[in-house]
Amino acid sequence: METHPSYPQLSLLVSKYPSTAGSLFQTYNDLLLGKFYNAVKSQQWRDLQIVDLGEPCNRASLQGRRPAHIAVEDVDALLHVVPCFMSETISLSWISDVFKALSNPESIYLAIATEDSSIVYYKLSSGIVKPVV
Amino acid sequence: MSLIGGNRSKAPRKGAGKRNDNNRIYANPLPIIFSDSSPSRVRSILGLVGLSLTQVITPHCEGYFDPHTRSVWTCERNDSMLLWRRGFFGKGDLSRSEPTWLARRLNDRKARQGKYLTSEEIREKRRAERRQFKLDRAAAIAAVAAEAEAIFEAEGRVVVPALSGPEIPSGATWRPAPVLDGPTLTTESREMLEDQEPLEDVEHLQLTLHEAFFLSWNLDCLDILHPETDEPMTLREIWVAFQHAYLTPPIPDLPTPQLQFDNPFLIHYVAYHHYRSLGWVVKGGIKFCVDYLLYKKGPVFTHAEFAIVVCPVYEDLADQETSTTNLQNAEPFNWHWLSTINRVNSQVMKTLILTYVTIPARSRISSDVLSSPACLAQYSVREVIVRRFIPARMRD
Repeated sequence: METHPSYPQLSLLVSKYPSTAGSLFQTYNDLLLGKFYNAVKSQQWRDLQIVDLGEPCNRASLQGRRPAHIAVEDVDALLHVVPCFMSETISLSWISDVFKALSNPESIYLAIATEDSSIVYYKLSSGIVKPVV
Repeated sequence: MSLIGGNRSKAPRKGAGKRNDNNRIYANPLPIIFSDSSPSRVRSILGLVGLSLTQVITPHCEGYFDPHTRSVWTCERNDSMLLWRRGFFGKGDLSRSEPTWLARRLNDRKARQGKYLTSEEIREKRRAERRQFKLDRAAAIAAVAAEAEAIFEAEGRVVVPALSGPEIPSGATWRPAPVLDGPTLTTESREMLEDQEPLEDVEHLQLTLHEAFFLSWNLDCLDILHPETDEPMTLREIWVAFQHAYLTPPIPDLPTPQLQFDNPFLIHYVAYHHYRSLGWVVKGGIKFCVDYLLYKKGPVFTHAEFAIVVCPVYEDLADQETSTTNLQNAEPFNWHWLSTINRVNSQVMKTLILTYVTIPARSRISSDVLSSPACLAQYSVREVIVRRFIPARMRD
């Protein structure tokens, strides 16, 4: 993992939170390089940054903006992605700690990383969300 | 059938051609190949006596063990394609299944849209069309509702707006609008594309620890290298390191934790080995809320038929109380959760199988056997198929 070109940006947080290092690495690469669509337009997530969540979450999360060409309203919204492993247990207090550490955004994306490098994203919103027509 | 003349319809030929291509590319179910180079007469004579000169060719691939992500990485392009094409082992870490990241980036650079689509590109096209269909349908429903409103205001007659019918597109009747060609690249931008520096392939094939152990122990076609020393690890080192990857990370001052029978690696490996040795292609099942998916020939051929949930069962319940590992699914399912998983899987036409793996009792067998794979013989596997039964509908 150390020889991967993305490692230098992550090295500080990998040594600080070793148990969640794998999921952070996989999610970072997936957003930066993997989310790639067949279009001659900008593909990757823009302004990707790593945010240290500190105690009691003991992990780092990512924030960034979606690729410009995906047609959703509010394309420039800053989205938060919190990586975790499939083997971790998540409780409501865990989720509320994460929301608090990110200063209460409307919604976060939980990126669940597995060992064969599949990542499943779930959107968690605080409160009830009306479905889109 | 004559191959000259184009009076056959295109669609069946395209399907048959793709099927034959797939059968050719993915012809070997495992990385080892049996080859016999002797002439057929010698082969038939020897065959009568019961002998054969077939040789077993085992390829040698290398992978690095990464304890952070609990996986083995194969960075060599040839090794990755070999392991994927012969048995569908592993997954490209920046792709949906086969490592296609470099191909997609090159496609994108040359702007060869529509010429050869990787599975990700097909998926994106399908999603874009579905999004457009939903927008069209919503607009049609809104138009019908507005028309009903107008009629009510004008004549006072109440018309119930229809939610289906000739004006509203449905899945069967909607067709995507023909794609207008985007602006063609000018000569300057084309030159700029060609001047870009060559792409470095940063994608690797990621094998789970179970797949990697299966390949190196049973088929002997994978060498696992230690991440720090670059030395190939011995089988004993691999066995112990893989088990330790699943135990809680050691605190520096305390001694390394002892190996236990209820290590998640062992339990999942027993299930993986069981199904692989029966000939199924076993892949991860997180997309459907289960542990594994079983494919008859491989993901490129048909969808998975079975979804496996591994349920560990302790032979001796006292072991469960004293265990330090928090095993998933060791407690019996509650009906709510079981119904949820069953619903999800029957929606996608997969059959749910509960695989019970029995963990041997510590009182019966000493923990020393854990230092070698021989302990796998102590575990047993039983399957239970769960299907929803509706008495009113399933009378026949």
